Amino acid sequence: CTPITRNHGFIPLPEDLSALTIGVDTRDSVIAAVGPATSGGVLGENTLYYVASKFEHFGPFEPTEVDRQVVAMSFNAGGTLSNVERFTLQDGRVVTLSRRVTDDGIADVTVISQLLGSFGQINAGQFLGESGSSTDGI
Amino acid sequence: QNFAFNDVAINGNQRVADGTILTFAGIARGEQVTAGSVNDASQRIRESGLFSEVNVRTQGNTLVIDVVEFPTVNRVNIEGNSQVRDAQLLSVVRSEPRRVYTPTQAEADTAAITEVYASLGRINAVVTPRIIPLSDNRVDLVFEVVESGLTEVERIAFVGNRNFSESRLRRVLETKQAGILRQVITRDTFAADRVAVDRRVLTDFYQSRGYADFQVQNVDVALTRERDAYLMTFNVQEGQQFKFGNISVSSAIPEADAEVFRAALKTRPGAVYTPVSLESDISRLELLATRMGINFLQVEPRITRDDRNLQLNVEFALVRGERIFVERIDIEGNSTTLDRVIRNQFRVVEGDPFNPREVRESAERIRALGFFQNAAVNAREGSGPNQVIVDVDVEEGPTGSLSFGANYNTDVGLGLLASYGQDNFLGRGQSLDVQVSTAETNRVLSLSFSEPNFLGRDLRAGFAMNYGTTDNENANFDTESFTLRPSLNFPVSDNGRLSTYYSFNYEDLTDVSTTVSEIIQEEAERGAVSTNSVGYTYSFDSRRAGIDPVTSYVFRFGQEFGVGDSNFVKTTALAAVETQVLSEEVTLRATIEGGSLDYADNDSRVTDRYFLGSRLMRGFDAGGIGPRDADTGDALGGNKYAVARLEAEFPLGLPEEYGVSGGLFLDHGSVWDVGNTYSADVLYNDFTARTVVGATIFWTTPIGPLRFNFTEALDAQDEDETKSFDVTISTSF
Amino acid sequence: CGVFATEPPVDLETLSAQQIFAMGEMELEQGKADEAAITFGEIERLYPYSGFAQRALIMQAFSYHKNEDYPNSRASAQRYIDFYPVEEDAAYAHYLLALSYYDQIDDIGRDQGLTFQALQALRIVIEKYPGTEYASAAIPKFDLAFSHLAAKEMEIGRYYLKRNNYAAAVNRFRIVVEDFQTTPHTAEALHRLVESYLSLGLTAEAQTAGAILGHNYQSTEWYQDSYALLTGQGLEMRSEGDNWLSSIYRQVLLGEWL
Repeated sequence: CTPITRNHGFIPLPEDLSALTIGVDTRDSVIAAVGPATSGGVLGENTLYYVASKFEHFGPFEPTEVDRQVVAMSFNAGGTLSNVERFTLQDGRVVTLSRRVTDDGIADVTVISQLLGSFGQINAGQFLGESGSSTDGI
Repeated sequence: QNFAFNDVAINGNQRVADGTILTFAGIARGEQVTAGSVNDASQRIRESGLFSEVNVRTQGNTLVIDVVEFPTVNRVNIEGNSQVRDAQLLSVVRSEPRRVYTPTQAEADTAAITEVYASLGRINAVVTPRIIPLSDNRVDLVFEVVESGLTEVERIAFVGNRNFSESRLRRVLETKQAGILRQVITRDTFAADRVAVDRRVLTDFYQSRGYADFQVQNVDVALTRERDAYLMTFNVQEGQQFKFGNISVSSAIPEADAEVFRAALKTRPGAVYTPVSLESDISRLELLATRMGINFLQVEPRITRDDRNLQLNVEFALVRGERIFVERIDIEGNSTTLDRVIRNQFRVVEGDPFNPREVRESAERIRALGFFQNAAVNAREGSGPNQVIVDVDVEEGPTGSLSFGANYNTDVGLGLLASYGQDNFLGRGQSLDVQVSTAETNRVLSLSFSEPNFLGRDLRAGFAMNYGTTDNENANFDTESFTLRPSLNFPVSDNGRLSTYYSFNYEDLTDVSTTVSEIIQEEAERGAVSTNSVGYTYSFDSRRAGIDPVTSYVFRFGQEFGVGDSNFVKTTALAAVETQVLSEEVTLRATIEGGSLDYADNDSRVTDRYFLGSRLMRGFDAGGIGPRDADTGDALGGNKYAVARLEAEFPLGLPEEYGVSGGLFLDHGSVWDVGNTYSADVLYNDFTARTVVGATIFWTTPIGPLRFNFTEALDAQDEDETKSFDVTISTSF
Repeated sequence: CGVFATEPPVDLETLSAQQIFAMGEMELEQGKADEAAITFGEIERLYPYSGFAQRALIMQAFSYHKNEDYPNSRASAQRYIDFYPVEEDAAYAHYLLALSYYDQIDDIGRDQGLTFQALQALRIVIEKYPGTEYASAAIPKFDLAFSHLAAKEMEIGRYYLKRNNYAAAVNRFRIVVEDFQTTPHTAEALHRLVESYLSLGLTAEAQTAGAILGHNYQSTEWYQDSYALLTGQGLEMRSEGDNWLSSIYRQVLLGEWL
């Protein structure tokens, strides 16, 4: 079975990128030329990040990111384009995510009330003695 | 001139407190007051809507406010209505008990009720509001209704229709001409908004048959002098029938190669022009673009007319569309289902380019979950000009079923049945079904569980466990069986899914009656048999990526291999195609299905073999078809079966609200080859095909779609046990 | 125990407003909140102008609330606010209105429409009636609802982080850092930003996020996690065996899908 590829995010087209000039273009002129950024920096204003990645889904296995292009544009204090860097998948680090979650103190709806909630679905199968839906859902 | 006042006198108010009136007036004590501001104050008090009269004046240095409060409504009801129920009329009335009565509101309610009657075709109905005063400035509000007869559309005529007859065009329209069934049919009443629907339906009808220039010039509706009948006349201008000229693809996007896209087109030059084939070609090109990872590709059909030989040349221009991105996906209304279960249905991620077709498909997948009464997905303007926020509004529906039952059988005693089913267990999208039955004749304990996004992936992990015993008197033998079946199901292509499973099965045949067929007795000798097996099923369903809404086809092929001491191969295959014809009113479906059980060393047993139940072939009792012991007449089942089913479904002309439609079908097939016949004489052990024809009534009921089958076996064998009527759930393939 | 408006057994037409009011209060003490609500409703219908009508309306709202019949409680409270916007129980009516949304907020995975409405209603109570006991009771509830909203953003951020959609995750965590500083989630948001930026290879941004975390939230476990990540040792796997089987048990049965 062939892997199913899925593309996410967006990086500017080469011809649009080459049209930008360091030191002249401002944040707004870059966005007008190239399109809004996929994401930004922690302190917001002075960075624009464009991220495009390609995932491959192969049968039951975890989808793997097979290609990632990151275009990072940074602006100096004066607001003009100071640097355009490119990163790829290799620059990224494999990070193990911390599994702790900040508890926000609002109790979840109790399991019992969920178990017995939302009844009322009657399916004709029970009356005609046919078994419920098959599990492996072909 | 202006003056200050230091005292306020308010009189006439009973229910509304002085403080409240003062806040409405908005004048504080000691404040400089001009005639203008006094006027504004009385205007503001009037705007509160609580008072019938308001009068503010100054007396020396006291401000005097005289008010007369509107009465409050004690009760609202409607008298004299028989054709329309109170509830429906009260729903349009905005005056409510305990609220303030205002004449303007009562007038508005009267108009609303009259409108309800007009929309049902009773345009001569008269409604008059009446007030019954009660103590404490309260009133009862009564709407007296004098109903009138129905004014129906007596005749629908067409002017300018050369290529299609009046009766054919009448069948297309939504509004129906009042005929003998006038009491039953509701669509023969005149409704203004239905005329607009009729104009569009008529245009679609003509355009999908090549009449590109078709126009409805005007629809004139005449009411007879006695106001008891409508006469409708449609003036149409058909124009000529056009065919497709040459079809080309041009690309303004460097990475989109026109030739590749041209190959994906389905419309052929010379075919009759229809907007539908144009639309589906555009969808094909857009889908190809998404699959090739080209963003913001827009397909613009440029049509040039060639009036001399009545042809339309189509050029699909691939242009760079507006660069719009999905900023956020916000999900609301999910009071039971978890956010991630819904978000999993999206293949778009926040920050991705906005692709309307992808959002539509995600909405379909959310609805297909079956957890929601309705699910609306629409995009609205985001924080930037080319950013969009996708809003998902769902309304939860019932997803669980709980039923208890008890059956008492004189000679066997009491049996309890309990079943709990939940399709959206704990809101995680997991499905859980548990069934317990302690009846003497069949004890069942079954449990099935499935997690659709196992380990966060598009991977459905299922687990089924089933323990059952049967021992009723008239059966030839008692059985005890236990099966265990974990499975994994995942996509292998856009339309294809593969399901793999392991299965453990324990089967025991006990106290076989002596009069039963020798074959079954021999098979029971082997007592309890447990088999391990692994298997896969590949299923292809063209509706998963769903380009062509009219025709869909399904293909399934599965094999189960016995491992360890029981080595057998069980192969099943199914191919089906379904299409809709006659402007999508009639559905035609053809299915071919077969199965084969091949044992290497020992043989199959009666509990393993196929028996062709009514779900596979209609018209026969359980075990009424297939190999049969010549002396004892017991059905033995077969190792092989093959069936072909042809079906047609069509409306019966009854209004849709009844949910009733009809169908015809033909089943042709057989089950054969009992395997080891020991020394018994077996009838019909070879492939002798039976044919059954039948008619069906489909009825969609609140508890599910039912189908009533009336069958007639054309060439059944003489020992077959046929049946002529059966009720089953109508399942699509 | 359905709240259907049938005529109460005793014919209330004959009783005075005060007697009906006392009956309502007695039913409340007996815990029959739904019947009390109907009784108080009758006063408003029969004696709309008596002094009791106003108090009956607020008692009706309270009874519906006690019976957890939030839509009706909301309707009665709203009617009190329309008719008696200035009376002394108006603050309590606004507060009941806010509670009717607030008490329905549940797990962050689920519907957040209610949280918005609760926040708006609580803000009215706090701004319009400062200094009242209701305002002081509303403030902690406002903060909790506000942090609940932040938790929702975090939940979706973690969803995208787990599926390696780092840009989407960064956007969600940035919203928490920018708009929800007063909530307890900011520390985790900053750590998740460190994780996301490192995964994208933008080490400079990761260090900025780590610096802010260090500066404001030095004592949290999140800072230790980030510090480990940024100084290259990486997060070691939790000791109690994160083998294949326990992760299935955690994700499928417990529903902790991270």
